[in-house]
Amino acid sequence: MAKGNRRPGDFLLEVRCEEIPARMLRPAIDQLQAELAAALDRHGLAPTAVETGFTPRRLVLLLEGLPAAEEDREELVTGPPVRAAFDADGKPTRAATGFAARCGVAPEALERVETEKGEYLAVHQQIVGRPTAEILAEATPRVLSRLSWAKTMRWGEGEGPWVRPVHGVLALYKGEVVPFELFGVSSGNATTGHPTLSPAAFKVRGPADYRKKLQARSIEVRFEERRRRLKLQMEELAAQAGGAVVPDEGLLVKLASICAIPGVMEGSFDRAYLSLPREVLVTSLRDHQSAFTVEKDGDLLPLYLTVMDRSDDPVGRVRAGNEWVVAARLADARFFFEEDRKRSLAARQQDLASLTFHDRLGSYAEKGERIAGLAEMICREQGWSEELEAAAQAARLLKVDLATEMVKEFTSLQGVMGGVYAREEGYTEGVWTAIYDQYQPASTDDAIPRGRIGRVCALADRLDTLVGIFGLGLVPTGSKDPFGLRRAAHAVLRILLDGELALDWELVAVRAASQYGDRLTLGKEELLAALRPFLHDRIRHLLGLQGYSYDEVEAALAGGASNLPDLAARVRALHETRDNPEFLSIVLAAKRIANIVREAEESELDPELLADAAEIELNEALDGLRQTVEAAVEEAAYPQALAAVASLAGVLDRFFVEVLVMAEDPDLKRNRLALLQEIQRTISRAADLTAIVVDKGDYK
Amino acid sequence: MKSFQELILLLSDYWGGRGCVLQQPYDLEVGAGTMHPDTFLRVLGPEPWNTAYVQPSRRPADGRYGDNPFRLGKHYQFQVIMKPAPRDIQSLYIKSLEAMGLDLSVHDLRFEEDNWEAPTLGAWGVGWQVMLDGMEITQFTYFQQAGGLELDPISVEITYGLERITMFLGLSQSIYDIEWVPGGTTYGQVRHQEEVELSKYYFEIADIDFLRQQFDGWEREAERCLEEEIIFPAYEAALKCSHLFNVLDARGAVSVTERVGLMKRVRDLAVGCARGYYASRERLGFPLLSEAGDEVAHG
Repeated sequence: MAKGNRRPGDFLLEVRCEEIPARMLRPAIDQLQAELAAALDRHGLAPTAVETGFTPRRLVLLLEGLPAAEEDREELVTGPPVRAAFDADGKPTRAATGFAARCGVAPEALERVETEKGEYLAVHQQIVGRPTAEILAEATPRVLSRLSWAKTMRWGEGEGPWVRPVHGVLALYKGEVVPFELFGVSSGNATTGHPTLSPAAFKVRGPADYRKKLQARSIEVRFEERRRRLKLQMEELAAQAGGAVVPDEGLLVKLASICAIPGVMEGSFDRAYLSLPREVLVTSLRDHQSAFTVEKDGDLLPLYLTVMDRSDDPVGRVRAGNEWVVAARLADARFFFEEDRKRSLAARQQDLASLTFHDRLGSYAEKGERIAGLAEMICREQGWSEELEAAAQAARLLKVDLATEMVKEFTSLQGVMGGVYAREEGYTEGVWTAIYDQYQPASTDDAIPRGRIGRVCALADRLDTLVGIFGLGLVPTGSKDPFGLRRAAHAVLRILLDGELALDWELVAVRAASQYGDRLTLGKEELLAALRPFLHDRIRHLLGLQGYSYDEVEAALAGGASNLPDLAARVRALHETRDNPEFLSIVLAAKRIANIVREAEESELDPELLADAAEIELNEALDGLRQTVEAAVEEAAYPQALAAVASLAGVLDRFFVEVLVMAEDPDLKRNRLALLQEIQRTISRAADLTAIVVDKGDYK
Repeated sequence: MKSFQELILLLSDYWGGRGCVLQQPYDLEVGAGTMHPDTFLRVLGPEPWNTAYVQPSRRPADGRYGDNPFRLGKHYQFQVIMKPAPRDIQSLYIKSLEAMGLDLSVHDLRFEEDNWEAPTLGAWGVGWQVMLDGMEITQFTYFQQAGGLELDPISVEITYGLERITMFLGLSQSIYDIEWVPGGTTYGQVRHQEEVELSKYYFEIADIDFLRQQFDGWEREAERCLEEEIIFPAYEAALKCSHLFNVLDARGAVSVTERVGLMKRVRDLAVGCARGYYASRERLGFPLLSEAGDEVAHG
C-alpha cells in the first residue's frame, strides 16, 4: 500500500430514516457508537476522537483519525499432522502439497510445530492488514441492522425490522464512499436537508463539508447544542417578558429531541385563563403542547414557549396555529375545572363506588375506607392523636379526584388535582397537601409527602395495594409489574426512611390484610412470607443507591428489618466502623465462632467451670460488654455498640490462641461452647457480623 | 382558505392521481375509516391495494349536542391505504398537504410518535401523529397486524381529520362555522341538527335492552355467516356489533367488567372475519397478485 494512503482518516456516517421516536434516539446513538467502536477494536482500529449527533431523522457518527488499515502481522497457520504429511518414502503427501499450495508456498518451506495434539505442518504467513474502508463496509451495516429498539416495525415489502423505514446512508471514509447496503438502501455520498424547508439532496465531501452544508440549512445534529440554544432562547424571551421559564428538564430534553432546527415558538393566551390553578395551566400546556410556561414573582404570565422545527416564523402562521390550538385546549381545561367545581369532593365520594380499583379487591370507595382504617392505625402507633381525625378525612378524599373530568383528561394530575380542589374548598393544609402529595415519591429522586398526614396516607394507600395484590397471589415477576408494586414498595420504604418513622410495616400489613376480609387468597403468614423478601429486595436496592455495600445491608437486615430508620442507622454504623482494624478482627472471630458453635446445642454457661486465665478474662470482658452493648442498642447508638463489640478483639484473640474449645472433658467443652454462644448473641445484637465480607487484603 | 368540500376534492384528486381506487364511504355505521372493508380486509394477504375514500365515522361518546365547537359524535375522515407502502410515502403525504394549498415554507410540520392500536380489530401499527403548527392533522400508520394476523407486505394508512383541518386552516372558532361549500352553505347548516339529535339518541333515548338483543343477534348472524364462509356479510354483522357496543357504552350501559367481555366478543368476530377473508382470497389464488404480475409481464 502506498505510504500516503496509510494516513489515518475520518469516518463520517449518517443514517437517514423517517422520524425516530424521541425517547429512542439517545440509546440508539450510544449503542451505535459503542458497538461500532467494539467492532473496529477487534481489528486494532481506534479513532482519536468520536462525535455523535442525532435528529429525529438522522443518526450521525464521526470517527476521527481512524488508521487506514489494520496492522500487518505474522500469523502461524497450521496444516495437516506431520504423520499424515509424508508417505513411507518421506515424500510429501497430497495433504502436505495441498496445504502448501493453499498457503502459496513451496512444500519445502513448510515448518513443523509442536501442538497439544502432536507435531503439525505449519507456515508463518505475512498477513497484510485489511484496509479500514473494507472493515467499515462489513461492520457498519451489521451493527446498524442489529441495533436494539424499544419497538420495531416492518415496511414496504416486509423490510426491517428496524425502528422506522431507512431512506439513505451517507458513509465516507477519507472522503470516499464506504459501500454497503442497509435494508436495500445503498450507502453513498449524498444526504438531504429539512423535509419541508430544504428537501433537495446534496453531495458531501467530508465532515467539515457536512457540517457547513447542514449549517447552511440551519440543521443542528448535536443534541446538546440544540438543548443549549433552546434553553438560551427561551430564557431570553422569558426575560423580555419580565419573567422566567418554569423549569422542566424532562420537557427541555424532549423539545431538543423532536427537532433538527432548534427554533423557539412564543405564544400567548387570554389572561382570563390565569384564574385557573397554576397546576392545570402548566400541565395542559406541557402535556398537550409540549410547552413551557413562564412565571414572574411566583405567578404565571399568559405566555408559553415551545419548539418549532424552523428558525423563524416569517408570516406568523406558526404562532397563529399554536395559539389557536392552545385556546381550544385551555377552553377545555376551564370547562373541566368549572364542571368539577360544581360538586364538592365530599359529594363526589359516592362516585368512587362505581370506580373499580381491582375486580377482586373492590371499588375505590372501599379502598378509601381501608386507607382510612390504616391511617388511623398508623397515627395511633406513632402517638399522633392530633392528626388522627384529619388523616382519616384525607384518606377518604384521597382518590376522589379519579372521578373528576380534569383527571380523566390529564391523568398526570391525579392527586395534585384533588389537592387543588380540597385547597379551594377550604380544607386544612394538612388535608389538602396529603391529597396533593399522595403519589410521592413517584421516582427515586422525588421527595416524600411534605407533612405527617400526607406520609401516613401515602403509606396506608401503598401498603393496602401491596397487601391486596400480593394477597391474591399476584407477585410481580421479572419485568412484569402491572400494578407498579415495586414503585409502591419503594415509596413505602422511602417514606419510612426519609420520614424517620419507627413503624413496623409488617404490623400495618397484617392489619391491611384483615381489612380485606375473605377477599385475599393468601393467609397472613403466607402473605408476609411473600411480601417480606420483596420488601427486603427493595431495601437492598434503596440502600445500595445510597452507597452502602451489599454485605453491610445483609448484615444489618439479619438484625431485623421492620424498623427502617433503625435499620438505616445500623447500616450506617457498619459502614463507618468496618475500616477499624479491631472490627475486622472481630468479624473474623464472629465467623470462626459461628463455625464452631454451628453444630452445638444451646447450653448454659457455668462461670465456676471456667479454668484458663484467657477464658476467665473473656467472660469478664463479656459481662461488661453485654451491658454496654445493650445500653447502646437500646439508645440506637450503633457506632458505640459496634465499637464496644470491636473492643473485644484482643481478649478474644488471646482466648483462641490459649484455649482449646473442643476440650476432651465434655463439661469443659460444653461450657466453652456456651461461652462462645453467649459472645455470639452479644456481638450480633446490632448486625450479623458474619455477613460482612472480609477481603484478605483488608486484614492487616 | 379551503372549504370542506374543496379539501375532499383536492385530496381525492391527489390520491386518485397516484393510482388509488377512489372508493366511496361504507354504508354502515363505523367508528373509523379503518373499519371499511377496503382497509380492514384488503390490508391482509399479499395482494397489492391502493385506495382512498371519505368515511363518516361515528364516536357516539364524543357527541356534545352540537354545543361544543371542537367535538362531534360523527365526523368525516379522509382515508388512504397503500399496500405495499411506497418507499417515498412520507414525501407523497407532504405533497398532498401542498396539494391542499398549504405553503409548507411558512408552517411547522412535525411527525410525533403515536402508535396506533385497535384492540377490537386485533390490529396495531407504528407511526405518528402529524403535527402542523402544534395541531394534530393526520394519523400516519404502518400497519403491522390486523385481525390478529401479521401483515406482509406492509400497508400504510393515512387518515386526515377533515373538519379539524378545514377549521385549522381557517382558524375558525367553531366546526359549525366552517364553509362546506366555498362562500356558501356551512358545516353547521348541513349537520348541526343531526349532531344534536344523534347526541340525544346516544345519551338518552337509545333502548338499552333492544340494543343488547341486537348485539346478541348480530353476533349470532356473524358466526353463522363465518360458518358459511361468506366473509363480507359476516364482517358487516361484526361492524354492527362494534357500533352497538359504542352506543351502549355512550349510553352508560356498560360496566367496566362487562366492557372487557363485549370488546372481546367484537374482537373474536373481527379476527374470525380476517382469517376467513385471508383463506377465501387464498382459495381464489390471490387474484390481484397475479394481475399485478401479469402487468409486469406484459409491460
